[in-house]
Amino acid sequence: MANERTDLLQGTLELLILNTLARGPMHGYGIVQRIHEAAEDLLKVEDGSLYPALYRMEARGWIKSEYGVSENNRRARFYKLTRKGQTKLEAERANWNRVSKAVTRILQAT
Amino acid sequence: MKTILAKLFRNPYRKQIVFEIEDELHFHIEMLERKYVQDGMSAAAAKAAALRRFGSLEKAMKQCVDIRSRNSLRRRVLKASLIILGVIGLSIRILSTERNLDHMGDLLIMIAIAGRLLLYVRGLSPSTFLSGTDETCPSIVTPRDNSKLRGA
Repeated sequence: MANERTDLLQGTLELLILNTLARGPMHGYGIVQRIHEAAEDLLKVEDGSLYPALYRMEARGWIKSEYGVSENNRRARFYKLTRKGQTKLEAERANWNRVSKAVTRILQAT
Repeated sequence: MKTILAKLFRNPYRKQIVFEIEDELHFHIEMLERKYVQDGMSAAAAKAAALRRFGSLEKAMKQCVDIRSRNSLRRRVLKASLIILGVIGLSIRILSTERNLDHMGDLLIMIAIAGRLLLYVRGLSPSTFLSGTDETCPSIVTPRDNSKLRGA
């Protein structure tokens, strides 16, 4: 199926990652899979671009990583939400709800 | 002088950073391959599909190494030290009454500014100047066939 690149709001990928990690620590592959499952293929994260986002978020202190053992007994880096990340997630969720409500209202009004 | 500066600003952990990132990205590709093989693909087809879905490994690798290097502990310590040096220089400049001490203050301020500029220049990459390559969200795609959306 052909895919179309969509210009979503800045910070959307970060919001999706934070929201996914709120369920518990996960490695990068697990994060992408969880997002794809939740979105039921309506939206796909390009796998390769997940990692720069993860590294930026770690540098900002929203998430932290440590090595663990994956489901296939391989060493893997697991990411988890920090307290700062939890606060950021709540703020971003509220912001997303506000923006989506506003856009929906505008679309319905015209 | 050039060698000393190069040694001072070179990240000795770069090889380790590159190794760790490579390992992490390859783990992701291996997991994709496993999934495709479980879905019934041949090993070769699974590998090709995994690489296709992952996108540019080289680009991801470069971005990750840049981000990790920019935010390494050593670099942060260096930045903080330069700020402290600048503040000390400024304090000397303001508080001192002797001309010799004034020069010392000037020297510290100059070292701090030059060091900070050097760190900034070394941290620059083309993405810094291209809007949208680093911070926006080009990483999300939606299927062109939006029958699911219509059905929802």
